[in-house]
Amino acid sequence: MSATEQTTRMDSCPVTGHEVDLSATTLKDPTILARPNEFYWTMRHQDPVHYDAGLDMWLVSRYEDLQTVLADPITFSVEKGYAEQYAKGYIEEFKEILERDGGGFFPDAIMTDPPYHTRIRKLMEGAFTAHRVKQLEPEIAKVVAGLVDKFADKGAADGVQDFAVPMTIQIICAQLGLDDYDAASIQRWSLAVTAQIGRMQDREQMRENARVICELQNYLIAQIRDREAKPRDDMLSDLVHARTTDEDNPTLTFKEVVSLARALLIAGNETTATALGNLLYILATRPELARELYDNVDDERYVTRFVEEVLRLEPPVRGLSRMTTREVELGGAVLPKGAHMLNLYASGNDDETVFECPRKFDLQRPNIGRHVAFGGGAHRCVGLALARMEVKVAAREFVKRIKDIALDIPVEEIRYLPTVATRSIERLPLTFAKR
Amino acid sequence: MNTVTVTLVQQDGVEVTIPNAPTGASLMEVAKANAVEGILGECGGACACATCHVYVDPQWQEAVGPPDVLEEMTLDGVSHILRDNSRLGCQILLREELDGLRVAVAPPQ
Ligand code: HEM
Ligand code: FES
Repeated sequence: MSATEQTTRMDSCPVTGHEVDLSATTLKDPTILARPNEFYWTMRHQDPVHYDAGLDMWLVSRYEDLQTVLADPITFSVEKGYAEQYAKGYIEEFKEILERDGGGFFPDAIMTDPPYHTRIRKLMEGAFTAHRVKQLEPEIAKVVAGLVDKFADKGAADGVQDFAVPMTIQIICAQLGLDDYDAASIQRWSLAVTAQIGRMQDREQMRENARVICELQNYLIAQIRDREAKPRDDMLSDLVHARTTDEDNPTLTFKEVVSLARALLIAGNETTATALGNLLYILATRPELARELYDNVDDERYVTRFVEEVLRLEPPVRGLSRMTTREVELGGAVLPKGAHMLNLYASGNDDETVFECPRKFDLQRPNIGRHVAFGGGAHRCVGLALARMEVKVAAREFVKRIKDIALDIPVEEIRYLPTVATRSIERLPLTFAKR
Repeated sequence: MNTVTVTLVQQDGVEVTIPNAPTGASLMEVAKANAVEGILGECGGACACATCHVYVDPQWQEAVGPPDVLEEMTLDGVSHILRDNSRLGCQILLREELDGLRVAVAPPQ
């Protein structure tokens, strides 16, 4: 079946009759990863908490069950799920390489469970409030304008490589205070880190990725040492010198600082770049939407809703892992203690019991903010206000400068990164005209 | 530090009165610290998740004031449960004029 056919069938409403044979399918299959919606649909209808033998994971597909998981971060542990997913199959060798060449193995301090997680999380929350992020809006607009001006006259560019990736890198580096960064390195680092939860790397790739992560850590460690000696007005200094309310552990340890700096640099980067790629994909394949966006470009509510619907319909994060800490029933399945799970946020956003005609881009949805593109519960994305702002400003500034955006390759040829964690367009060749 | 008294009415009808809420704190923080059901505050007060949504008692609406544009945008995301007196608890900072404040907790999203 062609990609276009599947898209047309999924777009129908009400959505019915799109079964795939679950027993013969795994999410690991690159064709499923690229076009997953029928697979999600079938799970939601036939086996909502589905054991995927290819991944050895329980896939959580319904909105309601996702809410149950998100509401109970103790039964469904991020820390254990993440540790199980991380560098799966090669973790010992991976650790050795990092300890030998990368300054150490630094487990993610934010990928943990309460109460420890609560302490770390409080330190990060203040940095990303909607009101603080709002102040960055003019700066972000300038970044977008600068990038667009580079290619506006040429009539063609790659939406991911020439726009989405450099834009997010520039913004997160400015926030962290990394002013001497090399964008190409940061992109390589991002891909290497995210590959550790993607479940698609072989041993050779793991070794190469580990080497790249050593580079990243050595860079960050030098920056952190510098801020220890000479604090500046940037987020890295804030982390280094942060004080918690916990009197026994008032500061972050060096290990924690490295892991958090790495998380901010990478988590904020890959996901937001993916969101921007998806935005451009939608503008390029639905010209009527691009025109409507332009007509409403100064309407705050319209643009805000537009961004939410992009995030709902094409969520950057497909699925993130959890592990059960006890036997528990979920969506009709009984999961044993230690069951490894994947929260399929992308399927939650597609759940027709919550979002009527889910494949429809519909700005009138009354519950438009209910999507789970940012997860939920104690681990709800801490950078969501920044992410939304970046996508919003990009949407606005892009259509103000560029019109007649179209794909320069057939839809079928769009490639996605090989990973279960996100659904990220690798390259997005576009043609357009300057406005 | 000064304190005020605030009352939140949960979805199940239970009224939680908090007699010693510190001024300067947000209604969301105070509600969470007192385990008020339905106030989750998932984004930590970033005005970005609407899991601290309350309906302000009409008598208190004027004192509390209206949401700003950013808050309106977040509330717009849950317009299926939006009312004229909707506010986000994390954006209501307690101050002396709000002594006696009464709100109802909005239903879950
Ligand atoms: C459109 C862009 C983004 C998307 C779709 C996204 C999505 C997500 C999701 C789904 C989670 C939940 C994790 C889980 O359930 O295990 C998450 C957590 C997180 N995100 Fe984002 N994110 C984005 C942008 C950002 C940005 C810009 C930053 C920071 C600068 C960031 C930092 C984080 C951190 C630190 C966590 C962990 C929070 C915790 O576990 O308490 N994200 N994100
Ligand atoms: S706590 Fe998230 S909006 Fe109030």
